Amino acid sequence: MSLKGKVALITGGSRGIGRAITARLASEGADVIINFFRKRSSAENTAETVRAMGVNAHIIKANLAEPDKINAMFDEIKARFGRLDILVNNAASGVARSAMELDVDGWDWTMNVNARAALLCSQRAVGLMQNGGSIINISSLGARLVLPTYTAVGVSKAALESLTRYLAIELSPRGIRVNAVSAAAVETEALKFYTADPSLPPPLVTGTPVGRMVQPEDVANAVAFLCSESASMIQGQTIIIDGGLSLTFQGHADRTPSKGDTDASN
Amino acid sequence: MPVNQSVEDKIKEIATRILRKSDITFSRTTSFKDLGADSLDIVQILAAVEDEYDIELDDEEMQEINNTADFVAYVERKIAEKG
Repeated sequence: MSLKGKVALITGGSRGIGRAITARLASEGADVIINFFRKRSSAENTAETVRAMGVNAHIIKANLAEPDKINAMFDEIKARFGRLDILVNNAASGVARSAMELDVDGWDWTMNVNARAALLCSQRAVGLMQNGGSIINISSLGARLVLPTYTAVGVSKAALESLTRYLAIELSPRGIRVNAVSAAAVETEALKFYTADPSLPPPLVTGTPVGRMVQPEDVANAVAFLCSESASMIQGQTIIIDGGLSLTFQGHADRTPSKGDTDASN
Repeated sequence: MPVNQSVEDKIKEIATRILRKSDITFSRTTSFKDLGADSLDIVQILAAVEDEYDIELDDEEMQEINNTADFVAYVERKIAEKG
């Protein structure tokens, strides 16, 4: 599965799942471009780690909620590398609110970072993928299942999975494959932000059929596979990495009424 | 205009834009939450300040900061450290 000679951009590639993906692609020989939002020190640390693997690593700061910052990022990639072979739309953000408490700003921010940015990055990336390429979108089970306060992110991931299919069909004639990797809760720092149930993660460990939580490396391994020739007939798919969790019946919906407009005249 | 006042004014300008409020006042008894900021607003304010001065604000260090005046002082320190 050599990616030697390939150039890969990983959005949000400095921490958590993104860092694992960056490291995995670098271990296969790809030069990596690590996009980050705020933590330059984390991006530099990740870059140093993968340079030790013998590949080139470059960091680019860009707030993916801002189209002009995305354009500036790709202008820099074009000037510096002249090509792109792999785009991993991994960066994600969002507000933790129930559907009834989600406001316009929270919706816009989440959708812009998680879904719109994937579209805008893909549009620019295609121009640099003159010899074909691979686009991988990172999704989560919240796109299909209902998780507490996950409304904005779940909806944005559902949009991302649909976008995956549309891009896959449209970009097939260019030799570009587009797929998504959807993971259950992954054991990272970011998980702590979205944990609404204080009893997590023990139930995730005991409830997952294979008996452990998804690790960042599990997602990274799936991304690397999808980038390889071995996956050449996988197009427009969402691969689920959850140890079988989503196949099981959980049955503990919270029946506490959420806040929000309770005007009886509606 | 003194340098310190300029940093405070710039942060107020950023906060005014993001919070869509006017007449924002910073003090040791006023936090961003007191000004109506939620967690998303705070992230956007931090990102804008970092972009403005090309600095990195440490989230762990900022856990000790609970008012807007101390936040301005922290930003000024980070600017000075950058040189």
